[in-house]
Amino acid sequence: MIFNRHRHHHREHHGHHACRKIKIAIAGNPNAGKTTIFNYLTGQNQKIGNYPGVTVEKKSGHLFHGRHEIELVDLPGIYSLSAYSLEEIVSRDFVINDKPDVIVDILDSTNLERNLNLLLQFQELGIPVVGALNMSDEAEEKGIQINVEQLSKILAIPLVKTIGTKGIGLKDLMRMAVRVAHGSINTSRRHINYGVEIEDAHHKIIRQLKTDPDFCHQFPSHWMAIKLLENDPDALLKVKQHHRHGEAVLLETQKIIQFIEKHFGDHSDVVVIEQRYGYIHGALQETLKQNQNTTNTTLTEKIDNIMLNKYLGIPIFLLIMYLIYQFTFTLGDPLGLVIEQLFAGLKSVIQKTFAAGIFRDFLTDGIIDGVGGVLVFLPLVVFLFMGLSILEDTGYMARAAFVMDKFFHIFGLHGRSFIPFMVSTGCAVPGVMSARVLSNPKDRLVTILVSPIMMCSAKTPVIAILSAVFFPKNAGLVFWLIWISGWIFAFIFALIFRKTLFAGEQTPFVMELPPYRIPTVRGIFQHMTEKSGEYVKKAGTVILAASVIIWFALNFPKPPENFTSNAEQPETGLSIETLHPSAIEQSYGGKFGKFLEPALRPAGFDWKIGVALFAATAAKEVFISTLGILYGIDEAPETDSETGLQEKIKMDPAYNPLMALGLMFFIMIYIPCIATLAVVKKETGSWKWPAFQAFYTLVAAYLIAVAIYQTGILLGYGV
Amino acid sequence: MTEDQKHLLSQLKPGQHFTVQKVNAKGEIRRRLVDIGFLKEEKGVVIREALFCDPIEVEIKNTKVSLRRSEAEMINIKVMEQ
Repeated sequence: MIFNRHRHHHREHHGHHACRKIKIAIAGNPNAGKTTIFNYLTGQNQKIGNYPGVTVEKKSGHLFHGRHEIELVDLPGIYSLSAYSLEEIVSRDFVINDKPDVIVDILDSTNLERNLNLLLQFQELGIPVVGALNMSDEAEEKGIQINVEQLSKILAIPLVKTIGTKGIGLKDLMRMAVRVAHGSINTSRRHINYGVEIEDAHHKIIRQLKTDPDFCHQFPSHWMAIKLLENDPDALLKVKQHHRHGEAVLLETQKIIQFIEKHFGDHSDVVVIEQRYGYIHGALQETLKQNQNTTNTTLTEKIDNIMLNKYLGIPIFLLIMYLIYQFTFTLGDPLGLVIEQLFAGLKSVIQKTFAAGIFRDFLTDGIIDGVGGVLVFLPLVVFLFMGLSILEDTGYMARAAFVMDKFFHIFGLHGRSFIPFMVSTGCAVPGVMSARVLSNPKDRLVTILVSPIMMCSAKTPVIAILSAVFFPKNAGLVFWLIWISGWIFAFIFALIFRKTLFAGEQTPFVMELPPYRIPTVRGIFQHMTEKSGEYVKKAGTVILAASVIIWFALNFPKPPENFTSNAEQPETGLSIETLHPSAIEQSYGGKFGKFLEPALRPAGFDWKIGVALFAATAAKEVFISTLGILYGIDEAPETDSETGLQEKIKMDPAYNPLMALGLMFFIMIYIPCIATLAVVKKETGSWKWPAFQAFYTLVAAYLIAVAIYQTGILLGYGV
Repeated sequence: MTEDQKHLLSQLKPGQHFTVQKVNAKGEIRRRLVDIGFLKEEKGVVIREALFCDPIEVEIKNTKVSLRRSEAEMINIKVMEQ
């Protein structure tokens, strides 16, 4: 009856809107199946961006329901609409500023109480709300019976039963949303009753707010008043800044809050939530029946008895990570190699077709190497995200955080940070991307800033060769030392950032451990294609541009004669391998190295190492090949050039084990490769963070290398 | 079932049942704890703890919730003897 009250009135007013584009926001608690439903509805018609000014991912898509075009915006998964977490602020700001026609809130039917807590907060925003009773099959299995019609009547919110993983009920859900958008069902006139004291206080604040009609036009006064009652920092700020009589409103609000807190003996925000839960409890008492049939719960409990066992938990987690790691790299690396070879093939075709010259070099060594450099990582990204989305969709990810949190928390990180760390020991590109498993922006940023310090598969050959050349007797030990130092430095830097840049209040770890669920192939596939597509589009362009710039710096200005040698050889590394030493020496890059030499001296490095380090920002493995060219080693199959280089380096009196030790630490720590920086830019949404990352790692690497070298000299190891 | 004296949730061992009395946190953590269901008079049980006894898993409002001991320290509870 409540729905019908305004039916007539609204038909008249909104009838002409029938063909207008309808904007629907999809909201919901974490683990309620929101993403599944969003993906099901929009398919491949998705756009991924960020909410203005923040790094919270914004997904939108569109679909047609009958003749209605619908724009769907996926709001982040949240528990509440407080002003404390970025996701929650983004959600409420979106609703207030963009005014969607309808909010569709996806509810986990097996956990209605907590999910209704969010639904009712959306209702208060003054935008019509539709609730999807999702996972209704699971609820039935658990013996939960919901009287949908009655619950919907009590809440004054249309409810539709859905099973997101199977697409069941989604048509009805959209039909309902469209009807609500057109005003044929009215939902916005009702809101929950908080009890006499709060309602009274609420009305007083509304009256105060209404003294500025412009303000009330901009922000829904009903909602604003509740937020003020809750002492919500963002609402207080908005009143202070935008309300004509801000001071007076705030003064009155404080008085009211004091009264409420005295009356209830608790903080006003707690009181509001308690009252809301009380209302929910009342509503569910009448409409929800639970039979004592809890097979599903016990299955999850049984699994957790093993997975979260005090002593087995960590070994099991490490094993699972190891399997994902193996899966990613054993499948991804050979495919990456195939891609590399394809590009090498393409290169030799071009080399045969075009006449030698700058244009050909640009095509082969600039463009093709650049594009190839983007695509070699693609298999890794694809397989890694396949593994991670299985972990996420089964519900194991929350458990991973549970078992690993203690250790990581010592360094100010979150249990889930282990995943990007671990992945970065393979490759920092997917490693940085996998930091998305962290929902807290601070945790995520710190993790992104430090995890590329790990030994990745590109640093491995460089460190291995240097250990072998300079420490022939203890090569294994030295290599291991450097490997472990990657972890240690990452932790140290994380701790430093937590104490300085990201100091302040701790963010909550509190989270639900959802029941284990079987992931759908569709969901995993969608996740995989989405991440890979993003990587190619966003990071790819930057990687390509940077490769071209580095190619240019090492090739120009051209020496008077063309020194290009062995052009026919299908070389897969970067361009410089086909250059003559003096060509590089004459290039901008070479001049840059020479210019830097005085600064590099304290670490024991000469200009050749400087140039090689510069070139290696394109990809760390390039370090060895660049050094090889500078020593004028004839191009030959890679292994030979390496042994050749080893001989040459050993003969050079300027190089000694002490310098090499500093150099290895330097290579581990300094500037991540451009592919990583490009991904960091994409993930953080600004150039600020990759720039900072390049800067701090360079400074740290330099200081450490100098410290090692100078200490060694003092102790008499330098000769 | 008899009620024991005042305690903090962080002091409980796995298997112990409790009733929430008050959340003593501030800002974001208070908000999150209360939103997720640590309300006055709410009943729950500690299910397990991770290695080194932190974090802990608690059942509350029919669902499993994990929280750090430092967070559990901010929750006043009454121990319920079964």
